[in-house]
Amino acid sequence: MPRTIIPFGPQHPVLPEPIHLKLVMQDEEIIEAIPAIGYVHRGLEKLTETKDFNQNVFIVERICGICSFKHALAYCQGMENLMDVEVPDRAEFLRVIWAELHKLHSHLLWLGLLADAFGFESLFMQVWRDREKIMDIMEETAGSRVIISTNQIGGVKRDINEDGLKKVVKVVDELYIDIKNVEKVFLDDYTVKHRLVGVGVLSKEDAFALGTVGPMARASGINEDLRTLGYAAYGKLEIEPIFETDGDSYARTKVRIREVFQSISLVKQAIDKIPEGEINVKVKGNPKGEVISRVEQPRGEALYYMRGNGTKNLDRLRVRTPTFANIPALLKILPGSQLADVPILILTIDPCISCTER
Amino acid sequence: MLENLVNISKGELVSFAQEMFNTKHRFITTTCVDNKDGTNDLIYHFDKEKVIKNVKLTINREETIPSISGIYFCAILVENEMQELFGIKIKGIVVDYGGHLLLSDDELNSPMSNQITIIKKEGGQKNA
Amino acid sequence: MFNMVGNIFKNLLKKPVTRNYPVSKRNFFKGSRGQIKGVDISLCIFCGICERKCPPTAIIVDKKEKSWEIDPFKCIICGECVDVCPKKCILMEEQYASPSIKKEKHKFKQEIKKAI
Repeated sequence: MPRTIIPFGPQHPVLPEPIHLKLVMQDEEIIEAIPAIGYVHRGLEKLTETKDFNQNVFIVERICGICSFKHALAYCQGMENLMDVEVPDRAEFLRVIWAELHKLHSHLLWLGLLADAFGFESLFMQVWRDREKIMDIMEETAGSRVIISTNQIGGVKRDINEDGLKKVVKVVDELYIDIKNVEKVFLDDYTVKHRLVGVGVLSKEDAFALGTVGPMARASGINEDLRTLGYAAYGKLEIEPIFETDGDSYARTKVRIREVFQSISLVKQAIDKIPEGEINVKVKGNPKGEVISRVEQPRGEALYYMRGNGTKNLDRLRVRTPTFANIPALLKILPGSQLADVPILILTIDPCISCTER
Repeated sequence: MLENLVNISKGELVSFAQEMFNTKHRFITTTCVDNKDGTNDLIYHFDKEKVIKNVKLTINREETIPSISGIYFCAILVENEMQELFGIKIKGIVVDYGGHLLLSDDELNSPMSNQITIIKKEGGQKNA
Repeated sequence: MFNMVGNIFKNLLKKPVTRNYPVSKRNFFKGSRGQIKGVDISLCIFCGICERKCPPTAIIVDKKEKSWEIDPFKCIICGECVDVCPKKCILMEEQYASPSIKKEKHKFKQEIKKAI
């Protein structure tokens, strides 16, 4: 039977953001996949050359809605390194608290979308209902639900007082019990395991040669987590990278669920150890020179390169996001699988296409 | 202030990349900077066990450089992007999009390297 | 195998999580950023700091005419203008802006006092 080409289009009910794949098929099996991106290219790197270096924080936050706090954190850290500014301790702990809350809501969003991809709608609604508690606590402490705009070069803009911290602990404790109930459905149910075990296997050598990052690499056995580098108060908390060795979709789900529990315990540790003090320092002068800053986003490692030339505008800002590095791995696991598994395989790399195309 | 910076020339690029692959370095990405005097700076970033290694290469706008996608397959996306947005000529990319990865047909050629003019208004407000 | 059924029974017995919208509205938290309502024009000194700090340039200040104008469709509700104003006269409200039919800018003008 001759080969057919099926377009897996930019619009699909299971995709959160538009990506186009041309699938070359023989009967029900995929032989080759050719990607095409470019539907949300906004030219943000050029826009940052026209604005003040203080106003760039607002542009950088809006690259992606789900990982927006960590983008601002990477930018502010790089500029603080370049201009030799020392951030007070209380600001660093506040940044860690908001960053871990963001990681929680990103992984819960992904779990809901995965349940929707294999058709289990009531599980999708249950997980998103639990995610609403985190959105409410972020609005109460920072002012807004999704893009919270609390980072600035030199510290943070707002403080959380004693009552606010107690509320955060209460919400996170309730969330622990809710997610424990849902974990049994994801990992022990007979039908769910049939869709996930043995699907889309990526070996450790392939994951290393293709440069994969994040939970996708950790599920194939590479034991690295950039938060152990120790930036922004992570050096004072205990972190151990979570990894599995199987490399299939079941292992990736398991890694992300265990990271949800790890984030809950990190938030509680940070609230225990937070010191008193100021929350920001004043910044003088203009940036000059080049610097690189790396952070661990919910989807993997992001790299920022900045170059300044002594005036208020930056010369160049370069962003490399984790989904950009995971797309070649997607092209490696698609050949050989069935057509009905394609939505699940695309979702296991956690695609964030607006980050990829800025 | 880049850590472990090494400067190389165009001819040594492929052999350097092969050496990085043999010593188990992971390829992160490539940055291209326009120096605004006719040359471009290309910086390749590699990583091994959380230590970054940076490799810098300076070329003129008209030169052609070889591709490293034969060694590191993951470089195809970033080399296609550099070709489109900056107008750098790279030969031998394994999957070549020919300038259609991110931009559509009716947009500017190499938009990142066109200069923008900043006009100063009274009162200190800038407009581009 | 039927691990989800326990959750379903608990949800049937509790009251619904969704709100009956037009009848009962949501209370916004104190300090959340909803929209920029306007400026207290009697306190404004027309220094122009808010115009320079605004990232999308949505504010236009005219010192000769003594007017302050904001384009609410360009505003990203970041709160910078509220923080840097020396007289603290820009007002931020917690309620989100309701949808409108046409695009218009809000302009505030101060009365010019004549010297006697």
